[in-house]
Amino acid sequence: MSEFVFKGRLWVLKDDKGNLIEDIDTDQIYHNAYLHITDISEMGRYALGNLEGWKDFPSKAKPGDIIAAGRNFGAGSSRQQAVDCFAALKISLIMAPSFGAIYFRNAVNSGFPVLKCAELEALAEKEHIKTGDRVEIDIRIGKARNTSTGETFQVEPLSSVQRQIYEAGGLFAFAQSMEER
Amino acid sequence: MGKTFSEKVLSAKSGKDVRAGDIVTVSPDYILSHDNSAAIIKKFRMFGVERVSRPEKIVIVLDHVTPASSEKYAQNHKEIREFVKEQGLSHFFDINNGICHQVFCEQGFALPGKLIVGSDSHTTSYGSLGVFSAGIGRTEAASVWATNEIWLRVPETIKIELSGKLKPGVSAKDVILKIIGDNGADRANYKAVEFIGPAAQEFSISSRFVLCNMAAEMGAKNGYFPADKTVEEYLSSITGEKIEPVCSDEDASFESVLSYDLSLIGPQVACPHTVDNVKPVSEVEGLAFDQGLIGTCTNGRLEDLKEAASILKGKKIAPSVRVIVVPASRQEYLKALREGVMETLIEAGCVVLNPGCGPCLGAHQGVLAPGERALSTANRNFRGRMGSRDSEIYLASPATVAASAVGGKLCDPRKYL
Repeated sequence: MSEFVFKGRLWVLKDDKGNLIEDIDTDQIYHNAYLHITDISEMGRYALGNLEGWKDFPSKAKPGDIIAAGRNFGAGSSRQQAVDCFAALKISLIMAPSFGAIYFRNAVNSGFPVLKCAELEALAEKEHIKTGDRVEIDIRIGKARNTSTGETFQVEPLSSVQRQIYEAGGLFAFAQSMEER
Repeated sequence: MGKTFSEKVLSAKSGKDVRAGDIVTVSPDYILSHDNSAAIIKKFRMFGVERVSRPEKIVIVLDHVTPASSEKYAQNHKEIREFVKEQGLSHFFDINNGICHQVFCEQGFALPGKLIVGSDSHTTSYGSLGVFSAGIGRTEAASVWATNEIWLRVPETIKIELSGKLKPGVSAKDVILKIIGDNGADRANYKAVEFIGPAAQEFSISSRFVLCNMAAEMGAKNGYFPADKTVEEYLSSITGEKIEPVCSDEDASFESVLSYDLSLIGPQVACPHTVDNVKPVSEVEGLAFDQGLIGTCTNGRLEDLKEAASILKGKKIAPSVRVIVVPASRQEYLKALREGVMETLIEAGCVVLNPGCGPCLGAHQGVLAPGERALSTANRNFRGRMGSRDSEIYLASPATVAASAVGGKLCDPRKYL
């Protein structure tokens, strides 16, 4: 059974001025220097390794944590390591106002939940969500709640294809189930 | 209601009448991968089938770290060569061919109306030949190898109408930088970008390649020029296949229409650390830099190398800078050699590398030290992309990089015309 309701500790990716960081590209998420690595379990330690102020993220992250990022998260290269490194750290999901197109596909195909949230910038600015808060998100209906403050907000629920692949447990399982039909 | 180019290609491929927003399951005509084939092979092995579904559709070009710079990269290349042999893949291009996107076009795989996916974000480049081509990840690349199928969302289309004539010293690179600067790095996320209009038709294939290549930097799923006579002429020397262009209908529905008069565009520079941080050269003129890069899949064709050589002819690059030249492919390299272009560049003091991705992605060959600044014709200036995260990358046209190399400071290339 796939999990649909996530409860976890939140990381809000802000810069030193307190703004949600936009355009976090794949070079900042997972640098070129480690592209030769093909084993996913080794990728976690490089997550956000090139993002100013967040280089120590892998040592601080715990399984089940949730990430909130600025618009156009994952812009740039098609490298899937930029998704896999979060999966390796067992991050449960990432939300952002928008994602790089290929990044979004990579996450969907990996069965890794990425959710668009239009009001994220406002929520972060007003500090209605902060690093360290506990949040609860139902990815089927997009209902989200900051359990530390009681604040509720909406994220885009999984789309139909996203949900099918997620439920199957990733693209391979999904494709195999299609073949069998 | 008529259809856009993307709606037509994906309708034909899926056998359904589809519109923007629909999800289709389709069989691509070709699937490209490069050095990341090593990772794709690993994924493919997990899929649970012995043989790839359609070996004739798989195109692999080694280009990212070539020749191998370390034992790890050498091992990856070795595994790819063994896989190619094991699966009987005939479209394999080893390290002596060039950058995958250029090689892919030269080999005649990119034909108008075809559907092509590639596990590289700049797969959008084949839109220069009227192809629907999009970048994908490596899990899905492995899945396409195994099943010959992929799901795609039919993209909405942004139409960009180009009119007017480019001024001397200004090129396709300046045009696309201007467009990205005005519209933002995520303006075209998940969308198609159509380049059309009288000025679009004037562009050479090489120039069209620049715009489609960098459509990825607006977030586009695919970017394209409708195939026309120029495409037909270009392909006639490569393939005997009959060309069947696909074009958007007049009454198709577009997400938006943007217009640009090329005569109003001057030399542009994308400043660190995002491609949409674009300024006219005049605003950053005089900025000193350490390394120039002329080439890559964005600007490494004969047209670009000539543009640089015409400025560097009889001149020397400043002692304070080093300039690296990377032709896009062996074919383009040879053409430039035969025309004496390479000689001019080398005489000016440039260092010529073998065709490949090399310094563009900072894996090897011309990596930047902390505090260094590069002026490059490549397509990305992300923080740390070419080496140290404390280095900076400015993006510009071949003419701007060449002209700036003479004085060692960013300058307007028109002063050398």
